[in-house]
Amino acid sequence: MWLTQVLINALVLGCLYACIAIGFSLVWGVLNVINLIHGSFIVLGSYLAFGLYQTLGISPWYAIIVAAPLFFVLGYLLQFLLLNRVINAPVLVTLTMTFGLDLILNNAMIYFFKADYRKLTLSPPMGSVSLFHAVVPIDRLIATVAALALTGLLYLVLRRLRVGRAIVAVRLDRDAAVLMGVDVKSIYAVAFGLGAALAGCAGVLMALVYPISPLTSSTFLGKAFVVCVLGGLGSVSGALAGGVLLALVEGVGTTFLGPEHATTLSFVLLIVFLIVRPQGLLGRKGFE
Amino acid sequence: MSDSLIIELQQLCAGYGEVQVLWGVDMKVRQGEITALIGSNGAGKTTLMRVLSGLIPVQSGHYFADGRDVAGDTAAELLARGVVHVPEGRRLFGAMSIEDNLLMGAYSRKVSRAELGRDLDSVYGTFPKLRERRNQAAATLSGGEQQMCAIGRGLMSAPRLLMIDELSLGLSPLLVEQLVAALRALNAKGMSILLVEQDVTTALDICHSAYVMDMGRIVRTGPGAELLADPIIREAYLGVLED
Repeated sequence: MWLTQVLINALVLGCLYACIAIGFSLVWGVLNVINLIHGSFIVLGSYLAFGLYQTLGISPWYAIIVAAPLFFVLGYLLQFLLLNRVINAPVLVTLTMTFGLDLILNNAMIYFFKADYRKLTLSPPMGSVSLFHAVVPIDRLIATVAALALTGLLYLVLRRLRVGRAIVAVRLDRDAAVLMGVDVKSIYAVAFGLGAALAGCAGVLMALVYPISPLTSSTFLGKAFVVCVLGGLGSVSGALAGGVLLALVEGVGTTFLGPEHATTLSFVLLIVFLIVRPQGLLGRKGFE
Repeated sequence: MSDSLIIELQQLCAGYGEVQVLWGVDMKVRQGEITALIGSNGAGKTTLMRVLSGLIPVQSGHYFADGRDVAGDTAAELLARGVVHVPEGRRLFGAMSIEDNLLMGAYSRKVSRAELGRDLDSVYGTFPKLRERRNQAAATLSGGEQQMCAIGRGLMSAPRLLMIDELSLGLSPLLVEQLVAALRALNAKGMSILLVEQDVTTALDICHSAYVMDMGRIVRTGPGAELLADPIIREAYLGVLED
């Protein structure tokens, strides 16, 4: 029975990993920016969920509704006011910029929230259910469904909405998009805002699963990075495939090797993929 | 300035950074006409298209659209004036469906869903092949279908002037004939067209007036039929040696 338990755990965690990664993947794919603040956005989302629950008793499910617009505006303004100024510079410049912004945000969080690990524990606890002889906590299950829903929502936004089509168009051919009358810089801001909103929501959900501390931001960033490489850049389905694969390898691997090797395993997987299949599971070859 | 002029250029200069490509271009595009721009590779035709659609700035000289100075306008502003550019190499959004490509053409227009539907229908009426494959990714189309999709995307922008860069590039003569017929039909309905072509015979055959470009300057101009009969043009661009 341990196998079904490992598989179910991997599916649950995989959807959360996908949710962590899609915002990162969107920004990377559309803006060609490796957004190093992404991990800190996730942590900030967790603190938001923690704070709302502790002070106002608002459950994390509703915190998502607060987090999404808040983080969208934060991301939009960051891109519009700061990153758009250097967006046409080489990738190292935007990387340095997001690195600096991450230092500021992360240290601000350490200053205000301290570096202690906190945990959002629902009271009363929601208990757990048995799925195919495997035990799954209900709060995790709901978090998974919410993560899947957010992923699906992004897919629909990109496919069905006018602004979504423009985001995809800018990613595929910037000059042609300009000829369609697309204002590239405001599309960049929208894409960055969406990435931030997804990070914030992922943070809210991760608060139920992970201990909360500013120090975990690099872990989240690392996961997002690995998922993007595994799944292939810039596609929603790729992030989902990459997330589940990463969680599966971590789950099965740590069952045999012990949980202390989870991160090592994920980065070994990253290196293997970079050598064998650099375009990722679902990515297209020869596409930047 | 006559009100039948949709575009007028006076001594227009432009280029890329330090490299000047256009050296004082004078040109008039009349309302309701097909105007052809011909010339060899590297003559500056595509650069001129990019200036007209606002992708690269005017360095000096004048660019009038409908009699107004539009030299500093952005691509979006020129598009709103109805100056629509179908770029060289089609530049479709390959991973998107045909219909999504067409809808991107209408991106900057504020129109109702119903009107969008009518415009889609009219493009599908012009190019029935596109309707059959509306949900297929644009990258999977043949060269001719891609050109139809690119022109269709241009039509969705509600052009007053449709500028097509290299209509026939890489297409079979039969396909070129079909596309030319479609352009003639659009022109008969009143649409102005600026056609950039390397296939000089086709271009001079369908245009009302033509401009010949060389080394970033306009070197000849006149009605298409007149240029087609011109021995110098025939020798330089059609490879015909006169006795």
